[in-house]
Amino acid sequence: MTHEQIREMVRRVNPIPDPTMLEIVDVPVLTTPLERRTEMQIDDRPGTEVQADPNRRRGPLVGIAAAAVILIAGLVFFLTRDDTPVAEPAPNATQIPADDMDTPLAPGAYFVDTDGDEASSLRGTFVIEGSGWTALPSGARKTFGEDYVSLLVVQVDQVWSPACESPAPDPAAAGSTATELANQIAGNGFTVREALAPVSAFGHDGHHLVTEVPAGCAHESHMVWGGPVFAGRYYQADGQMVEYWFVDVGDTPIMVEANWFPGSSPEEDVAELRAVLDTLVLTP
Amino acid sequence: MTLQTDDRSRFDAIWREHRHQVLAYCLRRAASADAEDACAETFLVVWRRIDEIPPAPKTLPCLYGIARKSLSNQTRAFYRRGRLHTKLSNLGMAPAADPMLVVVQRADDKVVTDAVRRLKPVDREIVMLDVWEGLSRAEIADVMGMTRAAVDQRIHRAYQKLSRALVPVLETSLLNSPPAAEEGGT
Repeated sequence: MTHEQIREMVRRVNPIPDPTMLEIVDVPVLTTPLERRTEMQIDDRPGTEVQADPNRRRGPLVGIAAAAVILIAGLVFFLTRDDTPVAEPAPNATQIPADDMDTPLAPGAYFVDTDGDEASSLRGTFVIEGSGWTALPSGARKTFGEDYVSLLVVQVDQVWSPACESPAPDPAAAGSTATELANQIAGNGFTVREALAPVSAFGHDGHHLVTEVPAGCAHESHMVWGGPVFAGRYYQADGQMVEYWFVDVGDTPIMVEANWFPGSSPEEDVAELRAVLDTLVLTP
Repeated sequence: MTLQTDDRSRFDAIWREHRHQVLAYCLRRAASADAEDACAETFLVVWRRIDEIPPAPKTLPCLYGIARKSLSNQTRAFYRRGRLHTKLSNLGMAPAADPMLVVVQRADDKVVTDAVRRLKPVDREIVMLDVWEGLSRAEIADVMGMTRAAVDQRIHRAYQKLSRALVPVLETSLLNSPPAAEEGGT
């Protein structure tokens, strides 16, 4: 389904396709006596709900409840922990909302919900120590001029392959395992700089891959992958480096994507990116 | 409060040119009384801050931005409703030759409106600005106070969500509605 088809369907349900059909009594503005009528109720249009956030007043209670849950969870964890050295997520992490973009992130611990579904607990937790980072849907980035370094921790539900073809192919359903997904991304036609290789990362076993964006493929029309939170990923520059890790967390394949711009991304930013990745832990 | 002659002329021009669009914007998002209040509030802000209203083509996106804020802070309206109800009740429902087609279309429309409703509020607003108000992405970025890249990202994500929800509608439409009848029913 194309965007234009969607736009046409949404356009069709526009309750007021032609604003000039509205009749407004043309009287001197701001001097008209107030006259309200209530016989007309139009409440079946899309997007008409203008409601106070029902959670707002419950904020303190929710906070107390959340704190209690965290305390209990922490106590249970403390009492039931074993001595096996395993990767643990940073405590007291703040969630980066799935629809957040460009919100500054102060140094600290953050987590992302990889599917944007609060009913599931799967998350990626990482620590940012440097300054200048901002939120991405399911990730974070640090910009430098037109370039940036970033990481995304995502679930993927569709893959475009070959990813640098015009017109773009229809996306294929993403593989249901990390191995399948890794092979799809590795075979999308981008230049492979480090071939798929087994890896143990973020507390799980999986695969590692480094690719470079070929010339002419950095454009919005060349989508590479998409998922429930980060809907469509395309790249911004020829030669942009994209590093992937694919791991199964329980039954869910998770992709971690890091990227930078060789020659323009400051070395210290790339080092900060590495430091953030070193703290990343994926928990089911 | 009074305006200088030039300001008054400019306000009148903005009012004449954009009043329908602003009211339509509000009516697409709120029940009628609240929409009228928000529209009035929008032009009250314009009246008070006429010097800060940018010239065309940024005027209308600016008005939408004010209206968007006003919708959450409705005050009493200054407009009379006239025959709006009659006008609205006919919108988008031109007589169709085949009554069954109307039924099919209404059912489909409900799927579409439900899908739009299920979008996150910000994404929904962006889609509406895109499709219903017909703003460019740069203008949407102005209204929403976000970057163009953020708008692009949100639109793409919203359309993907809508696509997943609307594929069955499209298939049904293609199966059940011959092109001529489809044209006649909308």
